[in-house]
Amino acid sequence: MKKTLAILLALVMVFALAAPAAFADDEIVINFPSVWVGTDSKAPYMAQLIEQFNAENAGQIKVVVEEQTDYQAARDKLRTTITTGNTPDLCILDTTYDILAYTESGKFMDLTPYLEDGWGEDFVDGTFDAWNVDGKVCFLPFESAVFTPIYNTRIFEEIGWDHFPATYDEFFQFCEDAKAAGYNAMGQMAGENAWSSMLWYSLIAEAIGGKDVYADGLDNPAFVEAAEVLKHMYDYTFEGALSAGAGDVNGHWLKRDTAIYLNGPWWVANLYKEENAVDGVLLADDCEVAANPVYEGGQGEGGLVTTVQAFLAAAKQDDPAKEAAVVKFIKYITDPQHVSELALSSGAMFFVKYEPSPDTNVISQKLTEVANNADFTILHVNGAFPTAFSTEFPAAVSALVGGQVDAQGFVDQLKMAIEMAE
Amino acid sequence: MSETRLRPKLRGKELILAILRWILIIFFAVYTLFPLIWLVVSSLKTNFEFLAGSPFALPAKPQWVNYTNALTVAGLGRMLFNSVFVGLSATVVNIIVASMGAYCISRFRFKGREKIFTLFTAGILVPLNALMVPYFVIITKLGLINTYGGMILLYTAIGIPMSTFLIRGLMDSIPMELEEAAYIDGCGFYARFFHIILPLSRTGIVTAATFEFLTCWNEFVFANLLVSSEKLRTIQVGIRYFTNQFSTDYVSMYAAIVISIVPSIVGYILFQEQIIAGMTSGAVKG
Amino acid sequence: MKLERSDRGPLYAFLGPAIVLMLVFFVIPVIYVFVVSLLKWNGISAPVFRNIRNYTLLFKDTAFKRSVINNVIWALVAGFIQVPLAMVMAIILSRKPKGWKFFRTVYFFPQVISGIALAMLWRAIYNAETGLLNGILRSIGLGSVACDWLGGIKTAFPAVLIYWVFYVGYYMVIMMADITTIDTSYYEAATIDGATDFQQAIYITIPLIKKTSLLTCVTLASVMGLRQFEQVYMLTNGGPANTTSTMVLYMYKKLQDANYGIASASAVVLIIVGVLFIVCIRKLFEGQSEETAMIKKARRAVK
Repeated sequence: MKKTLAILLALVMVFALAAPAAFADDEIVINFPSVWVGTDSKAPYMAQLIEQFNAENAGQIKVVVEEQTDYQAARDKLRTTITTGNTPDLCILDTTYDILAYTESGKFMDLTPYLEDGWGEDFVDGTFDAWNVDGKVCFLPFESAVFTPIYNTRIFEEIGWDHFPATYDEFFQFCEDAKAAGYNAMGQMAGENAWSSMLWYSLIAEAIGGKDVYADGLDNPAFVEAAEVLKHMYDYTFEGALSAGAGDVNGHWLKRDTAIYLNGPWWVANLYKEENAVDGVLLADDCEVAANPVYEGGQGEGGLVTTVQAFLAAAKQDDPAKEAAVVKFIKYITDPQHVSELALSSGAMFFVKYEPSPDTNVISQKLTEVANNADFTILHVNGAFPTAFSTEFPAAVSALVGGQVDAQGFVDQLKMAIEMAE
Repeated sequence: MSETRLRPKLRGKELILAILRWILIIFFAVYTLFPLIWLVVSSLKTNFEFLAGSPFALPAKPQWVNYTNALTVAGLGRMLFNSVFVGLSATVVNIIVASMGAYCISRFRFKGREKIFTLFTAGILVPLNALMVPYFVIITKLGLINTYGGMILLYTAIGIPMSTFLIRGLMDSIPMELEEAAYIDGCGFYARFFHIILPLSRTGIVTAATFEFLTCWNEFVFANLLVSSEKLRTIQVGIRYFTNQFSTDYVSMYAAIVISIVPSIVGYILFQEQIIAGMTSGAVKG
Repeated sequence: MKLERSDRGPLYAFLGPAIVLMLVFFVIPVIYVFVVSLLKWNGISAPVFRNIRNYTLLFKDTAFKRSVINNVIWALVAGFIQVPLAMVMAIILSRKPKGWKFFRTVYFFPQVISGIALAMLWRAIYNAETGLLNGILRSIGLGSVACDWLGGIKTAFPAVLIYWVFYVGYYMVIMMADITTIDTSYYEAATIDGATDFQQAIYITIPLIKKTSLLTCVTLASVMGLRQFEQVYMLTNGGPANTTSTMVLYMYKKLQDANYGIASASAVVLIIVGVLFIVCIRKLFEGQSEETAMIKKARRAVK
């Protein structure tokens, strides 16, 4: 017994102290914790891209990807590493609201000089007008997203609708018809992070408040009115939406018992999956892209809800050679040719100007069209308010729909959550 | 243990009690087996079946490909090894440290003894999520970031309060006279610990070890935080390989979970025999 | 045992490693947490001293108050319903009915199954449309009772609590191990005296495990109740309307908001509530080491 213990202990020591193999001295290593791995739609092409980059720069630069598949854990880890002064060489950030504090912390590389040196031309016009802190760009907007409804034309036909509702009044007429025919008009969820409901809330708020809906924060009465509308929508969703999560919403949509679906462009790939076809018909063949309906008396006509899905940011480097290497790699990722391929393979949208591949699927093309035709865009609430808003949203929406608070109380609850964080 | 209990014929009240007993036994068995069966069945579905079909229906055709996915794509093999290695190492070190500590606290009166024990017990309550930043700093400062050692050290440490608590609980119930007699016979500190107390607290040690190992096995937050090299990742990271912000591959994830629990269950069944062996040679209460 | 001079050296050597680990991984970090609980800090910008404002904010927040109440209920249910259930099963199985080894192993399974899987299963069981529970209710004509269990403001917390109460395997195994160490001759003596199994359990088994494994399990279960996080996070994420929130979940959400001050304050409150709980449990079990008549009699008979 004692002997085995001693051997075990010795083994532990040996293994424990064996550090991972060091790299060649003159090779610059870029560590890159990435969420574009695993089952993410961008994973296959990103892996290929990085491999290619490493091959082209063999012996000089090596990008080492740290796979982070769990988004929340990735965020937790990123924040901890930044807080403790161990900012990764390159990282992906999706919490829009934090970039002010992050930029001010001085822990990130200022990309402005490189962008002004011509690189900035690769990006969609006006990108940096919105995303700079006192003229400094440390966080490079990379992946974008538009949020606009997709609907199942087969269900629409079946209940006698040949077009998507143009106004919210009409929208609720449609909901009534769908309900009468035994269909869910749309999927809502107040469980998990209440993602679908939060998206609908953004759309309604846009339709009511228009371009300047965020001007006064949550004090804009549009948010109270939007809460009423959101609550009304819960009458036309599936049973159990208050505890539902993304799996439930997606399941119902795949089951073809839900007429309208709202999610980001990354979901388009699923519409084309054989696995999700019913009787040999792809879901995409029954799908059409719609615009956010107009709200009577609202100011949102022609508007579109978008977000920055991912920023790229690099840690501040003391070594100019390393800085150059990191910038080289970011430029490599954002190269229009590469982005075009990435868009084709993943369905995602980007802030880089690129020539869309002719092989792009129909739904993705239509989404791009909607994005290009918008008169103005506003951010998804998720990006427009501090993280505390999104954290509290599921609780607030279930309180609203469950009848614990009214629309004003719903907004107050969110305000209180934001105040606590400030 | 002898099997000489008298078994009179059951009748009346006793019969009802016997029936009640079996209802309970079977209820709990079904209740605990159900998740396992559901998990295995779910892991053989397609994602479409899982999301759009009834959650309790059988798959049309078992999808063994989910298992190949889990093993090859996520590289679970290496992760299983890491989990077993880290879990066992941390458990061994933890139990050694904790049983030595528990021995002192349980058997000796010295200044500050109760304070130390209160400190240990309070440690059980510390919500570790709040300690991400300090733990990251400590492990980095010790130069153990991204090593097995960092994980083993942290897991050893975070299990100390619980293990000490469990082992002390058992040591307290060992009669003082036993040790005093040994002391009079000239047994020193170490001899008493190794030859009397340690064998007699086997049940407590096994309980603590099981708990510690399961904690290590199921721990995710720090496994993800302290390690970035793929070579060192543990099974909990592997299970989450198939989750993603917007498109979780549920069925492959379930296959990964099934694969991840097989070693625990096998380990437990094997370990259990050890417990029984430990017990028959253990102290008798009364 | 009194501490002999010769024992002093070995004592320090034995206690040392545990103390060092406790200092480095608990005492210092907890002091850190306490300091942060007095700050307004997002982990990036310079921290601002806030005195006890985080604590006053905390107790103004209904979600936090609800979390504390939920945790206390959880700890009580764990200690005084779940553990007694486990004890009943431990007593039954230690009587070695047919297949007891099999059952003992099976009861322990939920402990080794990942929390994700358990939560997903119970989400499926409680599901409003396709759930097993509503299916059963509808098939026995109680369709009117069927509802969205995890989405209902009144039903969610009981639903989360109840399913979990019946996973007793871990505590059962601990108590079974303890019961097995009881001298069998006690039971034999009692049987000869005509005591039923039930009486033997009440007057021999329970008193003899009370201060050992029962106390351990009650403390352990209460602590687990106070630390409850993963199951709630996966099942309901604290919803609906924060009715299923717990202190650790609350803290976790504040960490997500990068609200380190409030998160740390809630951690401090959790530690205080927990210590109070443990002290109360110890008091409850103290000084009640009575020897029942049956034990005394059995002891005499054995001798």
